[in-house]
Amino acid sequence: MKRTELPSRIVDLALNLGATDVAVKLIERKRTMIRFSNNEVTAFKSYREALIDIFLMVGKHRAGSTISLSPLKKVESAVERLIKVAKMSPPADVYAPLPKGPFRYDPSLLKPSKVSLAPRRLVGHVEAAIKGALEAGAKRAAGSLTATKTQTVLATSGGAQGTQEKTSLEISVRAFTSEVSSGHFVSIAQDEESFRPEEAGRIAGEIAVSALNPTPGKPGRYTALLGPLVFADLVSQVGVLSSAFLVDVGQSFLAGRIGSEVASEEFTLLDDPTLSGSYGARAFDDEGVPTRRNTIVDRGVLETYLHNSTTAKKFDTETTGNAGLIVPRPWNLVVEPGDKTFEELLSEIDRGLYVTNDWYLRYQNYRTGDFSTIPRDGLFLIKGGEVEGAVRELRISDNMIRVFKNIRALSKSRFWIKWWEVEVPTLTPYAVVEDLNFTKSTM
Amino acid sequence: MEDLLEFVVDFALRMGADYAEARFQSDITETVTLKNGVPDASTLSETEGLSVRVIFKGALGFASTNRLNRRASKEAAKRALEGAKAASKAVRLGVEMGGGELGRGRVEVRPRVSFEHVDMDARLELLKEADGRALEAVKDVGAHLPARIFTLDTWTTEKTIITSDGVNVSSSTPRVALSVFMTAYHPQRGTAQRFFDLGEAAGWEAVERWNLTRLFREEAYSLGKVLMEAEKPPKGVVDLVLGPEVIGLVSHESSGHPSEADRILGREAAQAGETYLKKDSLGMKVGSQLVNVVDDPTIERSFGFYLYDDEGVKARRRVLIKEGVINEFLHNRETASVFGVESNGASRASAYNREPIVRMANTFLEPGDYTFEELVEDVKEGVYIKNFMEWNIDDRRLNQRYVGLEAYRIEGGEVKGLVRNPVLEVTTTGLWSAVDAVGRDLQFQAAYCGKSDPMQGIPVWTGGPHTRLRGIRLGGRT
Repeated sequence: MKRTELPSRIVDLALNLGATDVAVKLIERKRTMIRFSNNEVTAFKSYREALIDIFLMVGKHRAGSTISLSPLKKVESAVERLIKVAKMSPPADVYAPLPKGPFRYDPSLLKPSKVSLAPRRLVGHVEAAIKGALEAGAKRAAGSLTATKTQTVLATSGGAQGTQEKTSLEISVRAFTSEVSSGHFVSIAQDEESFRPEEAGRIAGEIAVSALNPTPGKPGRYTALLGPLVFADLVSQVGVLSSAFLVDVGQSFLAGRIGSEVASEEFTLLDDPTLSGSYGARAFDDEGVPTRRNTIVDRGVLETYLHNSTTAKKFDTETTGNAGLIVPRPWNLVVEPGDKTFEELLSEIDRGLYVTNDWYLRYQNYRTGDFSTIPRDGLFLIKGGEVEGAVRELRISDNMIRVFKNIRALSKSRFWIKWWEVEVPTLTPYAVVEDLNFTKSTM
Repeated sequence: MEDLLEFVVDFALRMGADYAEARFQSDITETVTLKNGVPDASTLSETEGLSVRVIFKGALGFASTNRLNRRASKEAAKRALEGAKAASKAVRLGVEMGGGELGRGRVEVRPRVSFEHVDMDARLELLKEADGRALEAVKDVGAHLPARIFTLDTWTTEKTIITSDGVNVSSSTPRVALSVFMTAYHPQRGTAQRFFDLGEAAGWEAVERWNLTRLFREEAYSLGKVLMEAEKPPKGVVDLVLGPEVIGLVSHESSGHPSEADRILGREAAQAGETYLKKDSLGMKVGSQLVNVVDDPTIERSFGFYLYDDEGVKARRRVLIKEGVINEFLHNRETASVFGVESNGASRASAYNREPIVRMANTFLEPGDYTFEELVEDVKEGVYIKNFMEWNIDDRRLNQRYVGLEAYRIEGGEVKGLVRNPVLEVTTTGLWSAVDAVGRDLQFQAAYCGKSDPMQGIPVWTGGPHTRLRGIRLGGRT
């Protein structure tokens, strides 16, 4: 038996043992990560794994398992055990059969891309990023480079069959000009052609140079110019929390807001895994449903949550092709661009703050969207349409819906962002947000 | 397994590695989930494999595989070495393994009640009963509990570590972990939310001890009261009493993290960040004399329990802040060699396919001798913050914010009514310097600490006693 036939074989086995629905995914992943700091490589890491994800239902009784790729006998006993667990578990509130195929997948999304995992070549990308940062004026650079090749073979009892081969490259570079002056940027791509490690280093270095000699910032409400890293973090909150599962358990400020205004008219957010050649492109979801372009927010109005077939049944709608067998999720977030250049956005701000990055976003209440997050790296005071100087020690403390409703303008230029703080690849412009609240330590 | 690991270490040395280390790790997790009173899919996860770490001319190479045979293991060793060789061209200072009390032996945490004796349906029944108590309790205060999700994990970790310089340790650790998230709602008062974790290195007996039906009832009742009764907190300068849940988080965030030696060296600069402490900060005063912060992996039953770390170094208690002064950093063998000290056993990896790095285990403020009543009795105007929802801290670990959830006004030495979302937004030294009395009631809570790239979430306890801070200016969301 070929390895790629294993998922179908497991589906048949589980059906014979009494499952009503089965989805099986074989994932083989090769990944290399190089970490660097103080301008040198600190660790070279190489990962290989072959995993089998099995999800099955016996009517309303559901169970899932992840195991290592193993000899067939071991896989069979894992399936038997899982059937027992499902039967033993009390029933869920809804039974949504897995979607029925066969499905046709977009061939352009299945076309394999190319990335080299050769160690010297990858170290070369790191050296280019460090060079970019140092040439821009940074004293030191740190970060990580990740190169991945994944093959996913999916089979379901609904007749879905698919094989997806994906590659990706990503680099995250933080450049320092002093202990408290830094800049950060990233480059992510599906293949080497559109990968820009040196540019990521250069942009990080330029921000770090501008961020020299920061003075303590003053708390208050400002018009904020949000750079792609920080805006992507906020946008990915909207994308991730549009999952119907999270709405259902109270972990989303989008609950009860379908058809309502959740952002300004300037803001349109899509989940678009059909963008061939982009980092998060994919042909099918974990139920085998062909992915599609979903408009989550259309000119400020919340259009849809993201669904698998189970959440769709519960919400009395159709799947959006975003399974996650338990939790639906976005694949590839895209913010529609605005019509201004960065310079125009900046020039229209009389008194404001330019935030280049943030980290550690936490909610006081997911349902209301009250949150705070901490700007990190370059943070700049804007006066009379120009950057006046670097500031520090401020915190964004506001409400998500309020922030998105206060978007005044977006830039034409957009950047793909994904890094430690932003898990979903997000294509994002610069954004101007009115009246953003900043606090600081009181002692 | 030992044979396979020894084979890999020998093979890596023969291929030219200056140091080699092989680790097998298996994590078997069973999870039940109750969502809004209804079971969601139960899941079983088996994550097992081995990793190889080598040093070649100062470059560190790491490789992992989940195929447990000689061929795949050899191939992993080759990948680690090839990577290290390629990286050695971009290394200046390089990596060495410093000293430490290297271990040989086995540690087993034996569950009193084995997980296999408790079926999935029994686990879900227990959550369902607890959920029912929570719903009733919220109703008693006139609110609802429309959204909640509870997950209960049983989790067994097996590890074996062998190194080229003599380490041979293995361990078996069962853990139980509960995660609770609930939303209370009232049409006029809106919503309030509570999230917490429980976790121990123990068998099912821990869950029995937790008394979930009582715990859920109390938590839901308190959350309902917060929603229905909390009023605006006082403005201006007040005294604060922080509960164990809050002071535990403070200890973790503003003492534990800044003490991690890999941050001091800039290794985490692009991810979890750096620290305000420097290599020569030992002896620096950061708080009042009453502040003693400890990180101790050897506490029995603790969520962060281990007796040998993931480089095979014997674990020990570390006093991070002693009488208000920075006393010790957290080290693995790599950072220890740079600092010219011995590793104090703080190296942890979250799974077979993660490299061991400097981590906390169980971080807490050491207890003093005050009762809770004594802490409160001479507070003229203050706030008691029992627990929190929102928090964060900057990546140098200097400016932090904790927003209270269940919090009470203190007036004339007495705890009064509930206040809504008091904001403690202060610097690390500002916070620790304001401590003027420490309670005797040490309590711990479970958490998952995130660090590194790829992300490694590891189980820890955070803890401390009720603690009083004088003269704090409360912040606020304007």
